[in-house]
Amino acid sequence: MSRRALRKLVNALALGLSGLATAVGLFFLGAILWTLLRSGLAGMSLQLFTAMTPPPGSAGGLLNAIYGSVVMTVIGILIGGPIGVLAGTYLAEYGRNARISGVIRFVNDVLLSAPSIIVGLFVYELLVVRMGHFSAIAGAVALAIIAIPVTVRTTEDMLNLVPQGMKDASTAMGAYHWRTITSVIYPAARSGIVTGLLLAVARISGETAPLLFTALNNQFWSSNLAAPIANLPVVIFQFALSPYPNWQQLAWSGALIITMSILVLSIAARFVVSSLGPGGRS
Amino acid sequence: MNEEIPEPGRAPEEPQARRGGAAREGNGLGREEDGAPLTRQRADGGLNLKPSGRVSVPEEATQPDGATVENPVFSCRDVNVFYSGKQALKEVSLDVGRRQVLAMIGPSGCGKSTFLRCLNRMNDTIAGARVTGHIHLDGRDIHDESVDVAQLRARIGMVFQKPNPFPKSIYDNVAYGPRIHGLARSRAHLDDIVCSSLTRAGLWEEVKDRLSSPGTGLSGGQQQRLCIARTIAVQPEVILMDEPCSALDPIATARIEDLIDELRESYAIVIVTHSMQQAARVSQRTAYFHLGELIEVGNTDRVFTNPRHRLTEDYITGRFG
Ligand SMILES: Nc1ncnc2c1ncn2[C@@H]1O[C@H](COP(=O)(O)OP(=O)(O)O)[C@@H](O)[C@H]1O
Ligand SMILES: [Mg+2]
Repeated sequence: MSRRALRKLVNALALGLSGLATAVGLFFLGAILWTLLRSGLAGMSLQLFTAMTPPPGSAGGLLNAIYGSVVMTVIGILIGGPIGVLAGTYLAEYGRNARISGVIRFVNDVLLSAPSIIVGLFVYELLVVRMGHFSAIAGAVALAIIAIPVTVRTTEDMLNLVPQGMKDASTAMGAYHWRTITSVIYPAARSGIVTGLLLAVARISGETAPLLFTALNNQFWSSNLAAPIANLPVVIFQFALSPYPNWQQLAWSGALIITMSILVLSIAARFVVSSLGPGGRS
Repeated sequence: MNEEIPEPGRAPEEPQARRGGAAREGNGLGREEDGAPLTRQRADGGLNLKPSGRVSVPEEATQPDGATVENPVFSCRDVNVFYSGKQALKEVSLDVGRRQVLAMIGPSGCGKSTFLRCLNRMNDTIAGARVTGHIHLDGRDIHDESVDVAQLRARIGMVFQKPNPFPKSIYDNVAYGPRIHGLARSRAHLDDIVCSSLTRAGLWEEVKDRLSSPGTGLSGGQQQRLCIARTIAVQPEVILMDEPCSALDPIATARIEDLIDELRESYAIVIVTHSMQQAARVSQRTAYFHLGELIEVGNTDRVFTNPRHRLTEDYITGRFG
């Protein structure tokens, strides 16, 4: 009898503890979101999306920073996406059992969890020092390097999920491997690959550290890829640490914009999975 | 080794024959009658059928009777397959005749699929697999350096155990082969190929109104017929089928069997099956494998009514496997 009571007690205790842990985790998440919403919404206005970042004390918006972030994220994924997808394809299809693949996977996992500031310093040495100044393109390259390991990983995983029978069918038809990959394997894994790319975009759109060393910032509108460019994360970083209330308000609003964009991207990624599910339209 | 391969009646230009009419005209040989080997084997006491016993003795005396046919599509000699060093197929010598169905039976793991994969070199795609011996398609060594493996596979269709349509429309599934091999001269020609392949596979009436819907949306039996249509769309010379009905219900199975019977008029077919009834129904020749060895092969009626080897008899009478 007492053993049963003990079991019940242990069970109740475990349930209580895990419930508590969940509550603590959710509390902080909720608190962050709540603070962000409360402080960020206060500064939401059309001006945010139409005006440049202002000098201290005067009114302004985040247009140049939003533009810079979008430009660098897009270029970053345009560089990193194809490299990541092709490398993932190599690992899953061509070099599945090659010894080098194990090394690549290991290095990729290291890159995946490497602090992004290291990527920033690397690109600083690689591009900024040689060009002699900060630039949008250096920022985009840093973001690409962060996007690559994420994309490699998701692509390989998704390609491995394609049934072997389907690949064999194409091979047995006399298709060369590359043809099988483009005509059968990619369509079958399409939703997974697209989801991986969207998650990579979400990942790089909030990166600050690598941009500090590469794109830096720009108070003005710039569409010159060879020049420093404004971007949301660095602007938030700079404005939030400043003593000026209007800058601090812009930092809150910028943070809210980034968070919302990532939320939208994540939801879009889920939507892609359900609508483009494997075996869908050709 | 090459001289050993009996290829009577093979026209000299045949190695160049590609898919299309030429290669299949053959000599119209329907089925091989194994009367002669029968008497030879009897003289031998009906024993010592094991291929391993065959080394320098005259070939006919020790080979499982009926292993050779006149003017074969495939002629295999001393084929061994190793998976990571472990031998899965031992010294198999077997011909595949034109316009007939060769059934391969035997307990699970005896190497039937392995042998099938030798014929279109699908074992090449398995890491650690090694194939030795001689396999000739229309008199030409399929392992020859000059052979393009993709071109080779285009001449040999394969239907798998589990229906495996591509994640494409029904139309695109059937058009896949013609597209990758550039067989269609025009869109209308491609439409023709798709229509006639689906018709031959007995699927046209069921899918003609939804050619653009996904092939994966069909029932299991329909999917398997779609896979057969996809295979015959490139007009292969041989069709390999690895337990094509094992995932299907009896009605779908009967349809596939009827289809195999029709296809036999134009193609050589090699079918692996777990069902002895199926082997008896659809095939003209039957080969029995056991632990990687070819134990017995011959006219299907003869193998089922009068098996010469104990192992074969045990298997078909259900005492084993
Ligand atoms: N890809 C593979 N890797 C390693 N061993 C294999 C592989 N495929 C088959 N084998 C082995 O080869 C033997 C024959 O297998 P298989 O040809 O599939 O038999 P069957 O089709 O007659 O059931 C079995 O012992 C099996 O374990
Ligand atoms: Mg098998």
